[in-house]
Amino acid sequence: MAKTKNKKGTSSDQVHKKKEEKKMNPFEVHVNKEKFKVLGKKQKTDMGLPGISRAKAIQKRKSTLLQEYKVQNKSNKFLDKRIGERGMDDDERATARFATLKMKSYTKKSIFNLADDEVLTHKGQTLSEIEKFDDPKSDDEFDIDDKNGNLDTNFVEEAHFGGGLLKNTGKDGSMTHKDLINQLIIESKKRKAEKQKTKEATLELTEKLDSEWKDLIPLVTKSNANQPEPEKKPEVNDYDKLMRELKFEKRGTVSDRLKTEEELAKEEKETLEKLEEERLQRMNKDDKTTTQINHRSADDLDDNFVYSDDNDEDNMLSYNNEGESNLKIEAQVNGNTLKPSTDDSINEEQVAEEEQSESEEEELETDSEDNLSDLKESEEESDDEDVVEKTETKYDHKEEVEDESKDSSEATEVKFGSKQSKEAIREVKDLIKQSREFRENVETKEAETKEVENPDIPFTFTIPDSYENLVKILEEHENHQNIVIERMIKCNHPSLSEQNKGKLGLLFAYLLQYLNDLFSDCPEKDVLKKHFELFQQLAPHIYALAQINSENAHSSTLEVIKEKFEEFRKKPKKYPDLEILVFLKLVSILFPTSDFRHKIVTPCYVFMEIMLTKCRVRSRRDISYGLFIVTLLLEYSLLSKRYLPAAINYLAGLLHMMVPKTGVKLLKIPPPFKSTSSLLVLVENCSLDAADSLKLSSIDLVEDEITPDYQIRALHNVVKLSQQFWENFKEMPSNVEVFEKISNYLALVPLVNYPKTVQDGVNCFLDDLKRYKNGRKLHYLVLDASRPKALRLYEPKVQVIYDVKQHKVQSREKAEISKLMHKVKKERKGALREIRKDNSFLSRIKINQRLESDKIRMEKTKRIYSEAAIQQSEFNSISRKKKKKQ
Amino acid sequence: MSQAEKPMKISKQLRLQGQEFLLYRKNSEILLGIIQHFDCGADQHSCLLTLEMIFCTLLKDRNMYVEVIPLKPVEKTAENQYKEWLRNTYEQCFTKILHAMEIGSPKLQMQGLSTAMNLLAYEGKYPLEGKGSLESYVPIAKLKYILMKILSTKQNNGHLINKYTEYLIFDDILFFTWKILPSLTAKSNPNEAYIMNYLLLLEKLQVHQNADKKILCSEGNASFFTFDESITVKCLNKVWHCVMHWEHTPQTQKQLLIVLLERVLTHLDKPLLLTDFLMDSLDVGGPISLLALQGIFTMIQVHNLDYPNIFTKLYSMFEPEIFHTKYKARLFYLSDLFLSSTHLPENLVAAFAKRMARLALIAPSEDIIIICNFIGNLILRHPGLKCLLNNAEKGTNNTDPYIMEERDPVKSNAINSSLWEIKSLQNHVQPSVSTAAKFINTPLPSVEWDLSTVLDKTGDDVFDKEVKKFSKLIVLQFEKPNGACIGKGERLLQFWDL
Repeated sequence: MAKTKNKKGTSSDQVHKKKEEKKMNPFEVHVNKEKFKVLGKKQKTDMGLPGISRAKAIQKRKSTLLQEYKVQNKSNKFLDKRIGERGMDDDERATARFATLKMKSYTKKSIFNLADDEVLTHKGQTLSEIEKFDDPKSDDEFDIDDKNGNLDTNFVEEAHFGGGLLKNTGKDGSMTHKDLINQLIIESKKRKAEKQKTKEATLELTEKLDSEWKDLIPLVTKSNANQPEPEKKPEVNDYDKLMRELKFEKRGTVSDRLKTEEELAKEEKETLEKLEEERLQRMNKDDKTTTQINHRSADDLDDNFVYSDDNDEDNMLSYNNEGESNLKIEAQVNGNTLKPSTDDSINEEQVAEEEQSESEEEELETDSEDNLSDLKESEEESDDEDVVEKTETKYDHKEEVEDESKDSSEATEVKFGSKQSKEAIREVKDLIKQSREFRENVETKEAETKEVENPDIPFTFTIPDSYENLVKILEEHENHQNIVIERMIKCNHPSLSEQNKGKLGLLFAYLLQYLNDLFSDCPEKDVLKKHFELFQQLAPHIYALAQINSENAHSSTLEVIKEKFEEFRKKPKKYPDLEILVFLKLVSILFPTSDFRHKIVTPCYVFMEIMLTKCRVRSRRDISYGLFIVTLLLEYSLLSKRYLPAAINYLAGLLHMMVPKTGVKLLKIPPPFKSTSSLLVLVENCSLDAADSLKLSSIDLVEDEITPDYQIRALHNVVKLSQQFWENFKEMPSNVEVFEKISNYLALVPLVNYPKTVQDGVNCFLDDLKRYKNGRKLHYLVLDASRPKALRLYEPKVQVIYDVKQHKVQSREKAEISKLMHKVKKERKGALREIRKDNSFLSRIKINQRLESDKIRMEKTKRIYSEAAIQQSEFNSISRKKKKKQ
Repeated sequence: MSQAEKPMKISKQLRLQGQEFLLYRKNSEILLGIIQHFDCGADQHSCLLTLEMIFCTLLKDRNMYVEVIPLKPVEKTAENQYKEWLRNTYEQCFTKILHAMEIGSPKLQMQGLSTAMNLLAYEGKYPLEGKGSLESYVPIAKLKYILMKILSTKQNNGHLINKYTEYLIFDDILFFTWKILPSLTAKSNPNEAYIMNYLLLLEKLQVHQNADKKILCSEGNASFFTFDESITVKCLNKVWHCVMHWEHTPQTQKQLLIVLLERVLTHLDKPLLLTDFLMDSLDVGGPISLLALQGIFTMIQVHNLDYPNIFTKLYSMFEPEIFHTKYKARLFYLSDLFLSSTHLPENLVAAFAKRMARLALIAPSEDIIIICNFIGNLILRHPGLKCLLNNAEKGTNNTDPYIMEERDPVKSNAINSSLWEIKSLQNHVQPSVSTAAKFINTPLPSVEWDLSTVLDKTGDDVFDKEVKKFSKLIVLQFEKPNGACIGKGERLLQFWDL
């Protein structure tokens, strides 16, 4: 308490002092005037206390400069080397001295000797010794040692303090001092040996104990587990066994309840619908889901966000007594979610970007020299280059491109709430229904064929390691190839082994090769039919294979298409071999043809278009080939309702062939058709047998001769195809224009010779066309209303304020140097001033000294003078006295 | 094996004989033997080579050189007689070589031409007679014979003319060919082969001097002639005047137009006289009218031609057939040029746009892209055409007001229509086409589309581009097929009994 009081007292004193200090004489304060006052700027030099600072300076000089001056010409100096003798209190001094002591002890003898100078100890033992833990002795041991190690107290008393010679001789004179010493030595040695012996014995014992304990350890740990076992073993009986089996049997969890058939069907339906929606989304990849927007403001975010209509209530916002507003602000979003539209816009942007980059990619190939080459060449190339060698071209599947893009990026799920897509889904459902019926027919057929199963086929197959082996296997089981393939897939399913996936990929490639070989060398009619049946059987298995290893299916199919196109490019006027048709059909089985852009389907579209526009049409084979492609095109584009002019042109061209040419007026038709060609004109009157199918058949693909029967079937199918195309394109605004040519030619075809059913079909189609033409409504194109322009905002005018200081623009080094120079200058000035002040201080001291010494001297002389005067006066008085006496 | 060796042997034999003759000049029978062998028609190729070698050496050694001193008959020494004989043989052989150019296989004809030209060159370098102070000259008479053979009336000499172009890089040959040409030009109607040859030759002849000033018939100095461009231009005009009066078949007319456009038009004195010819050609159709169109464009551009019906003609050239011709890109390029003027009436341009849109409905994919860009450019140039894309006032209509059959674009009523065709093409199967057609959905850009990038595209290019398109997305059909019948939308098996 006293201490604190004391402290308080001192602090209050200090405060008091400070207050006193602050209450300065205003005449002692010097104020530095400022030219500009800057708010918030702190300045150290706004005022100074010249008197105080001068006094400080003088004091400092007295302690430094003056001391030096005093010992200036002295050869001897007194140096006080005591530490902390001046200006330190006791504690500080003590710590400082300790510190220097430590420092001294740390001065190293060798710079390489890092750690040896100081040995750390614990209870007198070095740490390194302790760390060995060799023989930790217990405390009582130490005690014993202490007792035994030292000399006996009696002995010590006798020997050391035994009272000298007197006592010795008094008790037993036989013992001399020398004997005593010898006895002492022997005794101590004996004790040492004893001690050593006991120590060794205990050590031995502990070691023994340790080793025995080690042997025991496993027994101790095991004992817990082992003990009950030998007891229970004999008790096991069947009942227990069964019970335990039942007990430990894997239990089904609640969620794994078996699903009922309806649930399974529902689930399947849901997944199908989900996939279907994804497909639709891919199909309409860059179509806008256009929703009607009534009002669009300039700062709209295009998210269709609209405040609810406030027509029903009054718009004024007011509050009742409880402070509740009369309006509830409700936000509502048109459309189901906000996401689709934004995603769409992103998609669109991406597409647009892609397109842009595409156009950028296309390099400018502008011939600076215009050499009219296109005109010079004879435009009509010789039509008679029929000498086309049949080259057997087998493609290798060795270059199987292992697609790196294994991670098939899943399409992002975006829900479509728009009506359009729902309608599309409904239509698709109808289609599904149709096709299901169709499929059922096929299934019944298949079931019939399956019944005649051959039991001789082995149940397991390994995947052959080369194409030749596969062919061999397939040839062995010629009539059951589909079963072979099916079993092959089942035996090597990827869930059984990791490698199987690659193997099945190989099998996929082999099967493509097999198909290629089946159809490439233009087989005979009956064989062809068989091959097509085989294809139909194999198709589901190829589909399954593709599902298993999709990347591989993708890359190998693309390779095949590429290669076939390269082959075709060499002879662009001639329809390629049949395998192309099979592959194109396979593409439609394996891949969704309705996608806006698909890596495989889009090239196929291009391929078919080129074939239809380039290849010459001169025989039954050519016509059938073209019709096959047109049918495929219809199949490809049925869901997406997309338009390919080449297909319509081809149908129109075929109809043109059916019109008899009168010769007066030339009906023009663009290539590859010829204006004079009339291959398909039916001359004789034909009636149709009821049994005859009007379908086209595979034989048409190989026969060259055109029969009346074929002509009838051609017309029938052309009309039916046109009708389906027409129905598919009904929503297109230029529908009428597109089908104008077809309807014109169709009207010119003389129907008299055709059977009744065909005639009816044609007339029906013509009527439909006419009715639609009269009834259609064309909406004039209207651009989407663009977003209104936002009012122009004026940016605040910013004036640059120039600083008063002018900074030179110079390089960094220069700036640094100039800064340093400035500092040097300033320092030099300061130093000069200090020196000047030192000089004046010194001179002041000198003059003071001088004055002082002068003063002393003056006094001395005065005294001397006075003494002398006194002496003189004394002398004078004496002399005067002498005179008087005389 | 033996058959292959035989000609080798004969050519070697002939060469040896030739060398023997050159060693022992008096042995005239060897030369006669070779000529006889040449006459009989076997191994003409090697005979030609041998003769060329013999006579070239003779000319080089001046073995046929006769000094002609004025007013002094040539002395009849044995040597002179021998020289006389040699010269006669030489002339005979030359005519035979020229004969070989006319008949025989194309290969032989080419060899004949090259032999004749080589002899010509040697004769120029080492003349047979002293020609005043000049050391070398061009044997014009012989050149004329050669040209006569080239401008044959019997056959198409395209290969010979191609070979002859190798010599046209020599200034002297070029110049004298021009000089000779007027005299070889037929005045009345020649036959088609002649016209074809003539035009082919004319196409190769250039009016200007060659850049590197090489001369065939002399070693270095070209003192004997100077290349005067005014003379060649004069010859050209003279020749062209005749050519225009010939009767032309479509092939020759096409060739004529090519020559006209490439070589002649810039050098003619009065090009406007060609106007009628070009207009007539424009009516022919096909590539000829396109060439005429290009000619007319040059006339309008350079010579201020004003012709009223030009746009009607151009309009009539847009027919469905154009997509299958080779000059399609050129037609689009030219019509882009013609329609680049912003001072054309809007209904005219609208008619073009509409017609092209109609054609796009049946065009191959790559051409649809061109047409879309083209129409976009037209609308950009003529903002009045925006009513084709954005017509909010009219509402709906029953039929398209545009009349496709109308020949006159102004009367086709296109301006009251709308570009429904482009709208339809947005459903094209090909993504690139579909995207191109979507330009009508968004406000037009400020810069025109660059047509030159798309003009030369073919279907193959489109295929390659689509195949190369990198996409990670692997999508498979999700519905299991039944046989070859796909889940939905199966059409193939509805029409085909496979």
